[in-house]
Amino acid sequence: MTGNIRVAGEQKQGLARAGQIYHDRDIRMRQLKAEGRKVLGYLDIYPVLEMLTALDLVPFGILGDIKEPISRADACLPTIVCPFLRSALDLGLKGRYDFLDGLVAAHTCEVGEKWAHIWRIYIDLPYIHYIDTPHTTHQSAREHLAVLLSDFQGTLESFTGAKLTPERLRRAIRMHNEQRALVRGLYDLRKPDPPLIAGTEVVQVLVALISLPVEEGNELLRQVIDEVKQRHDGPKKKPARLLLWGSVVDSTDLIAMIEDLEANVVMDDTFVGSRAYFSDVKLTDDPLEGLAEHYLVDIRNPRTFRETALDEANRKDYWADLESRHGYLKDYAREWNVNGVILQTLRYCDIQGYEVPGLKDYLEHIGLPCTYLEWNYSQAALSPLRTRVQAFLEVIG
Amino acid sequence: MVEEKKKFINRLKSMYALRANIDKMYARTVEASKAGNPTAWCAVNWWEADPILKAMGVEVVYPENYGAVCASAGVAQDYLERSAAEGFPTYLCGYARNCIGYAARMKELGEIPPEAPLGGMARPVLLLNSSALCDARYKWFQSLGRYLDAPVWTVELPHPGVKESQADGAHEQNIRFMVGELKEFIAFLERLLGKKMDWARLDELASAFIEVNRIWYEINELRKARPCPMHSRDFWTCMTASLYPSGDPKESLKLYRDLLAEVKERVANKIGAVAPEKYRLLFAELPPWHDLKIFDEMAERGWSFVVESWAYHPPKPIDLSHVSDPLERVARHTYRWFTGYFANALQEDEYMGYFAYPYLEWARDYQCDGAMLHPLLSCRTATNHLVLVQDRLLSKLKVPSLVAEGDIVDFKTFDHPGTMRKAEAFEEIMDHYRGLRRGEGLPW
Ligand code: SF4
Ligand code: SF4
Repeated sequence: MTGNIRVAGEQKQGLARAGQIYHDRDIRMRQLKAEGRKVLGYLDIYPVLEMLTALDLVPFGILGDIKEPISRADACLPTIVCPFLRSALDLGLKGRYDFLDGLVAAHTCEVGEKWAHIWRIYIDLPYIHYIDTPHTTHQSAREHLAVLLSDFQGTLESFTGAKLTPERLRRAIRMHNEQRALVRGLYDLRKPDPPLIAGTEVVQVLVALISLPVEEGNELLRQVIDEVKQRHDGPKKKPARLLLWGSVVDSTDLIAMIEDLEANVVMDDTFVGSRAYFSDVKLTDDPLEGLAEHYLVDIRNPRTFRETALDEANRKDYWADLESRHGYLKDYAREWNVNGVILQTLRYCDIQGYEVPGLKDYLEHIGLPCTYLEWNYSQAALSPLRTRVQAFLEVIG
Repeated sequence: MVEEKKKFINRLKSMYALRANIDKMYARTVEASKAGNPTAWCAVNWWEADPILKAMGVEVVYPENYGAVCASAGVAQDYLERSAAEGFPTYLCGYARNCIGYAARMKELGEIPPEAPLGGMARPVLLLNSSALCDARYKWFQSLGRYLDAPVWTVELPHPGVKESQADGAHEQNIRFMVGELKEFIAFLERLLGKKMDWARLDELASAFIEVNRIWYEINELRKARPCPMHSRDFWTCMTASLYPSGDPKESLKLYRDLLAEVKERVANKIGAVAPEKYRLLFAELPPWHDLKIFDEMAERGWSFVVESWAYHPPKPIDLSHVSDPLERVARHTYRWFTGYFANALQEDEYMGYFAYPYLEWARDYQCDGAMLHPLLSCRTATNHLVLVQDRLLSKLKVPSLVAEGDIVDFKTFDHPGTMRKAEAFEEIMDHYRGLRRGEGLPW
């Protein structure tokens, strides 16, 4: 399989190619369909993509579109739920994803779960599977997820008529781990001051990645990393080096608004950002066990409940608990030389919303200024946010 | 002479004793705490953790129930404001924000706030929540770490998809998962409390809870009668003894048996909760606790609410007498509650087998003329499925819906007069669809 993409006679490379796919996400999928490949859509980071890749299925990340007004989804999902999910369903109902042969969903969050069931009622596809990812890291939850993945394997095998051998799965895991390592390499380019790559460019690359088969995504990443290392017209040095935390960020709009000010977004903890890429899947004897461990335990995401850190008297130690849940952000801040954090949640995102006061406590405790933005996944919401970000930048100097 | 105000809902007499039994849980917990005995704040967990806590001698209160208590007592608004001042987004669950405001105030005062209704919730040694149905429960309890030093435990409940749940081996695997979970919970609890589980007591309690729910189910089945003998208002009052089972289950059992006898008598004598019963309605999901009187005004118009709130209903009974392990019995009972409608849903190509599909079955079985849907501005769980329910009821059964937005705790969001105006117009719509249903040969 070649990593090059031919689009209307022109062949783009690196960042230009990422930008092109970002703007025209299904371009490669429609070509692959024409070549006879099957494309399965998926939502968020819990569907186990390695298993699709191993069976030569093409995973395609379903996203929303903040520029497209939501109309059709109003007839099946109320207005007071996550606007990203509403937008993603709206696009599905409008036929934006009509090239999909199937859908894989998981219990990402409560509304994400309902979203999957509603999708299935209103948008029929030849293959649909829902993975009931547990909520905790308990031993029984890990074992249960491994069993659920073996059920998932069964339905994929019936759908494709192919056998998913451990060897095929291991090969796919290696390819996805390679992608994770390459993304971390891409993020390394944000460590210098000024960063070698803008936050908006990173989002374009990451959106492109979930719109390509893994091997093509890896090739794209290599091209981007080479290009960025060699170019001399990267972002300008700015006083603020920010970490962006929270709900889904699947377009460049929010980051563009921030980077238009005196700030570079140099690190993130979001989907489509670092969350899916900052730990590898271990190659265990039974590959499903390694996958279960990865998706339940290794991925840091507030949707998974983690045990309270207790002191000797079996009482909860608040600061130890915050450290065990958010300590990785301190590492990010140190390695990426961050001097401010923007916490953002989409309105109605419960998973991230409950984290905000505790996370603020933690960041203040470790001496990192932060601000909190709540928005509704619309371009109109961005101008009032701009004033808030500006005020925050003045505080951090 | 004072003229007695006419009551339009004929409330069940046996309901009052059940309510009193629940209200006592707050005082019991405060006393236990003063005596140095373990107490817990518990999310509704559909009988998974309740018998275990009880068997370990832990006194429990349910902050969700307390949210409704604070809303009815008029103190919730201050707690909501406190939660916002603490930095919690205002779109979060009303119960959660009420509880967070309460906990913040308790921490500040170093004791139960004096304005707290029913004696307040005592400081817990454990926060027990469940992964069932809603993200808010476990995230909210986790966030209470700012104010309380009690550890948090989350009991898992599997949420299989309708189709996936019917796959070979799925049912038994989910039960195994739940039993494994409960074992882990017991091990944690034994460490926390420094004592061992009383297995004989657990066995007894597990059976008692199952029996309570069996009777409670039977009572609700009788509501299919015309006229309906029990109104949703009585359901919401009585459900607490099943859902928040903190009292003595033997006492609850007796009280539910009394309730059953009274409902049976009403059915035999054709006594309705609303007379005349002009319209039979279902209600989804959680009611406006701060404005329950709206149902009296609707009753005055002949509206009887005959079924409601799927999540608060007991499971369809199954025979578990052959299951000797109490944990397995508990798991099967709770799993039944969650998935009891799944097989039928799949046959009808409905993939939201809990919350949404049961209303289709109920609208048919309880012969409903309309549905009242109450989307909550702060609760995704009780709201996600309502547009779907509205669509399915109308397209499959020609049952129309009245939609009134609001909140469980924040009374500012509910438009009482507007809802009553809509209700008046809705009667014509119900009449119209009744004609259509009959024209299509549907039996009501
Ligand atoms: S942004 Fe929040 S509510 Fe929306 S899909 Fe993600 S976790 Fe769920
Ligand atoms: S179901 Fe709704 S009301 Fe109940 S705890 Fe969850 S968010 Fe709150």
